[in-house]
Amino acid sequence: MLTSNLQEYVPQFTGYTELRMQENRNLSIGFLKGNNTRNVKSTTSGISARVYQHGAWGFASSPDFTSESFRLVIASAGHNAQFLAKKANLGKPQLPVNSGAGSNSFATTKPRLKQRQLIDFIKQLDSYIGDKYPDLSSRSVSLNCLDMEKSLLTSDGSEAYSLIPRTIIAVSLTMDSEGKPLDLYDVFGGLGQFEDVFDNPEVLYGRIDSLYEHIRAKQSGVYASAGVKECILDPELAGILAHEAIGHTTEADLVLGGSIAANYLNKEVASPLVTLIDFANTAMGQTCPVPVYIDDEGTEADDAYIIDQGVLKGYMHNKESANHFKVAPTGNGRAYQFSDEPLIRMRNTAIMPGQSKLAAMISSVEDGYYLIRPNNGQADTTSEFMFGVVLGYEIKSGKLGRGIKDTTISGVAFDMLKTITMISDDMQWSAAGMCGKKQPIPTGMGGPAIKCRVNIGGR
Amino acid sequence: MTEREILQYTLQKLEAAGAQAAHCSLLRSTKQEMNVEAGQMSLIRTVFSTNLHLMAIKEQRKGTYTINKLDLASIDKGILEVIEIAESSEPDSANGIADFQAPQKFTVGDTEPDLDGMYERLNAFLETVKERYPSIMLENVYLDFTHYNSFFMNSNGVDFTTSKGMYHFSAMFAGKEGEKSSSFNYSGFATKELDKALIEGGSLDLLLQQSCEQVNTQSFAGKFTGDVIVTPDCLGDFIGTFLDISIRDGALIAGTSVYKERIGKQIADSQLTVHSKPIADEIIDGYFLTSDGYKASNSTIIDKGVLTTFLLSLYGANKTGLDRAVNSGGCYVIEPGNSELAEIVRNVDRGILLARYSGGYPSQDGDFSGVAKNSYYIENGEIKYPITETMIAGNIAEMLLNVRDISRERISFGNAIVPWICFSGVTISGK
Repeated sequence: MLTSNLQEYVPQFTGYTELRMQENRNLSIGFLKGNNTRNVKSTTSGISARVYQHGAWGFASSPDFTSESFRLVIASAGHNAQFLAKKANLGKPQLPVNSGAGSNSFATTKPRLKQRQLIDFIKQLDSYIGDKYPDLSSRSVSLNCLDMEKSLLTSDGSEAYSLIPRTIIAVSLTMDSEGKPLDLYDVFGGLGQFEDVFDNPEVLYGRIDSLYEHIRAKQSGVYASAGVKECILDPELAGILAHEAIGHTTEADLVLGGSIAANYLNKEVASPLVTLIDFANTAMGQTCPVPVYIDDEGTEADDAYIIDQGVLKGYMHNKESANHFKVAPTGNGRAYQFSDEPLIRMRNTAIMPGQSKLAAMISSVEDGYYLIRPNNGQADTTSEFMFGVVLGYEIKSGKLGRGIKDTTISGVAFDMLKTITMISDDMQWSAAGMCGKKQPIPTGMGGPAIKCRVNIGGR
Repeated sequence: MTEREILQYTLQKLEAAGAQAAHCSLLRSTKQEMNVEAGQMSLIRTVFSTNLHLMAIKEQRKGTYTINKLDLASIDKGILEVIEIAESSEPDSANGIADFQAPQKFTVGDTEPDLDGMYERLNAFLETVKERYPSIMLENVYLDFTHYNSFFMNSNGVDFTTSKGMYHFSAMFAGKEGEKSSSFNYSGFATKELDKALIEGGSLDLLLQQSCEQVNTQSFAGKFTGDVIVTPDCLGDFIGTFLDISIRDGALIAGTSVYKERIGKQIADSQLTVHSKPIADEIIDGYFLTSDGYKASNSTIIDKGVLTTFLLSLYGANKTGLDRAVNSGGCYVIEPGNSELAEIVRNVDRGILLARYSGGYPSQDGDFSGVAKNSYYIENGEIKYPITETMIAGNIAEMLLNVRDISRERISFGNAIVPWICFSGVTISGK
């Protein structure tokens, strides 16, 4: 457990100071077509200090845990803040005091498995695919585990400890299609260390079989017909829409940097069916995939209500942006490594469930698509978005039809959200991805299925 | 212990623990970074980093472990850990380490930053943007100087040392007038010295100017097959990404590469020559070693359209029976063409100037589709207007064969030198 008496360094603080100890532990195992191509572990730990003086931030970090290193890091951060404050004369106000305290660990209480046992688990999945589906031209199975363990002390009274682990297994299948490779992936897992997330590889066989059925449908599938179509977006796509197209535009630093969302506060930006929240740690009574209780600025994390029944109600904040907008900080200040400064990041961003049944939603589409799995997504500060779609089906006369080849959907989110006419009454989270914004960071994305009109790329 | 003594100690301990082959690298770096947020200087960072990377092969089983502590207890624990990881792996006769090469030290750049100079250059950039492009909003901008000493040794006697100091500049921005915004855009570059204004580096001045224009965009209706002039900032999304997908270990070991039997064959138009030049003078921010510990050399990947090499690591080469690449790719230098960019535009009947691509990762066969961002509609040889909600789709392998023209002008980003390339036969869809 990563703990230290950080209080002993308080006398060295000069002005507002955050002092953080952090260790990230990564484990990665990969099999490619039966070959154990990757078996890698890393442990990265260290300390950092961030100091705020007269509107200027100074930051410093070191991998060493010695008392001398603590003193050096605190002094360097202070020196950096002074250097900038003196040169830039920013004249910003003091930060709001918003302290939190707590200890939250999701470490398993079960005995930890040996590396060989993890290899055997992944190898069994690989062998299952290789034996059962010899018509595949290639396959890969990988395991990626990340533990983020942090201790934080701030000069305004916050003190927090957390250990937030994530365990993900990714399976990718490749099949020849007209002489060209065609692939499809799925990911399993989420919050927790391996022993709490996976038990028996056989439990995943059904989902692998389902993945194989989907790639077969894709192999004999067609290219989507380009244009604006009525579509059902499965929860995975609704989640990435919530994250990429709305979430990023409503991060307060991007709002200050020119995001279109700056113009829309308290205005209708979506169908009244749409409520979108960035959950701090708990949603509908369940722990979210990436729970944040105290953020890396020491703020007790609160849910950020972004869209309430179609109306844009707020942004995601750190202390400084909350000061600017004269609201309470939401606890969105997060850093990936010990050597990273906290940035405004999402936590668990989701569209809230509605009242429709997925089957009824599909039945209601005369000519459109049921789009299931993204492979990536991007959006910009105008809320124009693009998602790659690697799994989907035609809908003809209310029934699912042929599979479709890889395609892309795009649009302007604040326009597209107004076209939503149905939202399913269920909810799924995904937490496999890393969000990139100067630093990578794990985030949760969630949602129900939504029915909307969206531009789909053809060929 | 010195860094080299730490590596010698680690290698001896690994061999004593049963490793038949091993390599270790140690990196110590210091980064000084100045940040701008929402147009104002906001933060200065100082990051001290250490990284000790251990790789051991025991009975053909490979394990890798990385730590960032150099005290003896941590190193000893790391040695036990990497041996356990290796013992847990499946045996693979393709695992190996670099052959002996003569020890060498590589040096580039300064060892200390000019902090006052950094501040002045960054501040001048902010002032110039404000004055020259008042509608630009700078979202996130940073200038850093990173210096590292790295050491690489293996049990075959390889012993390399690198000392490198480099400035990196990156800016993300958008145009904004009233309630209208452009899409964000970004660019950056690496430089050994702060010898010129930051706005003059890479393609920044051009992109800032374009972002002002792109506050007012238009969409067009319908779909057509036309020409796409891909800008230097955007070209990596096509050529670099597709090379990563198709000629590196993964696709060649899996046998799924569309180029798996195409060495010596025409895979692109004869106008296209792509080099990877990590140690060329013209590449400021290159590298000296491959990840396996071989001294890197420059190479030509596509020579007048002919594929001349894959980018296989030692493992990939052993696994496939093909040749190991002489570098790790990247640092791409694309040969210029004979036409001015303006002339290339004049020859386009209908198409777009693609300045940023927001798209799905291309599939293994090269199919892609995505949104044309920060781009312009071209008709009858003239750039007409900035566009919005425009999608493009095609196949990168086919695009490489359909190069219509390559510009004489190129942009140097410090780690790549790239022209504008016009590809024909791309599907372009309006709203």
